[in-house]
Amino acid sequence: MNNLLQFLVKHVPWFVFIIYVVISCILLFRSNPYQQSVYLSSANGISSTVYEGYSGISSYFGLKSVNEDLQARNTELELEVAQLKKQLNNYKLQIPDTTGILAKSKPDFTYVVANVISNSVAQPANFITIDRGSEDGIVPEMGVVGHNGVVGIVNVVGKHSARIISLINPYIRLSCKVKKNGKFGTLKWIGEDYRYATLTELPRDGKYTKGDSVVTSGYSALFPEGIMVGIVEGEDKTQSSNFMAVKVRLSTDFSQLKNVSALNNKMRVELKALESKDNDPSGAKKEEKK
Amino acid sequence: MAKNTIQFIGLFVVLVLVQVIFSKIMLFNVATPIIFIYLLFRLPISMSLNAVFTIAFFSGLAIDMFNNTQGMNALACLLVSAIRTKVFYAFVTRDDETSNIIPSCKSVGTGTYMKYAGTLMLIYCFLIFFIQAFTFHNVLLTIARVICSFVLSLILIYGIDSLVDTRREKRS
Repeated sequence: MNNLLQFLVKHVPWFVFIIYVVISCILLFRSNPYQQSVYLSSANGISSTVYEGYSGISSYFGLKSVNEDLQARNTELELEVAQLKKQLNNYKLQIPDTTGILAKSKPDFTYVVANVISNSVAQPANFITIDRGSEDGIVPEMGVVGHNGVVGIVNVVGKHSARIISLINPYIRLSCKVKKNGKFGTLKWIGEDYRYATLTELPRDGKYTKGDSVVTSGYSALFPEGIMVGIVEGEDKTQSSNFMAVKVRLSTDFSQLKNVSALNNKMRVELKALESKDNDPSGAKKEEKK
Repeated sequence: MAKNTIQFIGLFVVLVLVQVIFSKIMLFNVATPIIFIYLLFRLPISMSLNAVFTIAFFSGLAIDMFNNTQGMNALACLLVSAIRTKVFYAFVTRDDETSNIIPSCKSVGTGTYMKYAGTLMLIYCFLIFFIQAFTFHNVLLTIARVICSFVLSLILIYGIDSLVDTRREKRS
């Protein structure tokens, strides 16, 4: 007994070592990246304050290219509005009461504008931190878009900051479609180049040519349909099996991300409740009993 | 002693803040500068292992918090701190003079210090990039990252050591 105690006392540091190693391994190999405490992520108080300090200095660099991007996007939208107005007028002439129907339909999405205070493109799993949090109306699992397209999904929310799982993170699977032929697939990032992702599980019967636009499918409650994701670069033969896979050049430049908007789907809670109801066999049984 | 502690805490804060920026850098897609590990190199050799492990764990965790790499740096730091004294005595003879030394270029000589720091840095880079690449298959890229980051970081560590250790003379 005495010997055992002596042995334990002599090797206390190594027990401390083992405890620390176990803690870090638990943190490291936790299977679900979504269930993370806000204190251990970049959305906590200390790191968001530090990152805000850094971004306060660095946000002035690159304003020129941001402005150019905005200008281009603005023009594009203006043209689209003009085009749509023209179409609407045509329809008005054909069917007089279209305006009534249009007035009734309200937008499903609201948005919160935020600044990117931390961002990475070189890690195998990339995250973005923004300077808006729960007090500004950010909740987990909101879709995030930049002015050039989809950016990611909100993951951990602090009071005044939030962490976004970037689109260039292997944990994200985004349902997308090829705009031209409407074929659906799943977009994922395989961890090499931050400019490209892969659109997998595409049906083989479709034709995918270089330059086709890839947009969100609207199947998830996170993003509305038709938000730009990227442009088809060519077939990705390493990933294809029974399905096709194409390499997609992402429209968002993740190395120069400055401003983003988090989208809030008003129907999200309702849709989620509906989905979980369908999947829950116990709920179905209850109804049968009635 | 108190002066040393305050100096160490100051060094900790500065190195972690600089490392936060450095972690976002990857030169030519291969080289990331890693400098906060200098903290562990600099701890006195006679320091109790409990304290060394605690400092290693929390400095690693601080970097993890900023980088969203939960536990990765903490684990690598712990393993490096565990073999620190063994590596030190592989290059320096064990006697009374070296038992209470703070490793630096001035105290043990540039060549010996760089061997000591280099060995630990290589192990650290190896650990961090292979833990990072756990789910990926691109071994060649990972090896390139280990080597390039090792070289870049070691050069920076040499610079930091000569900045921090300006006045300290050889201890006896």
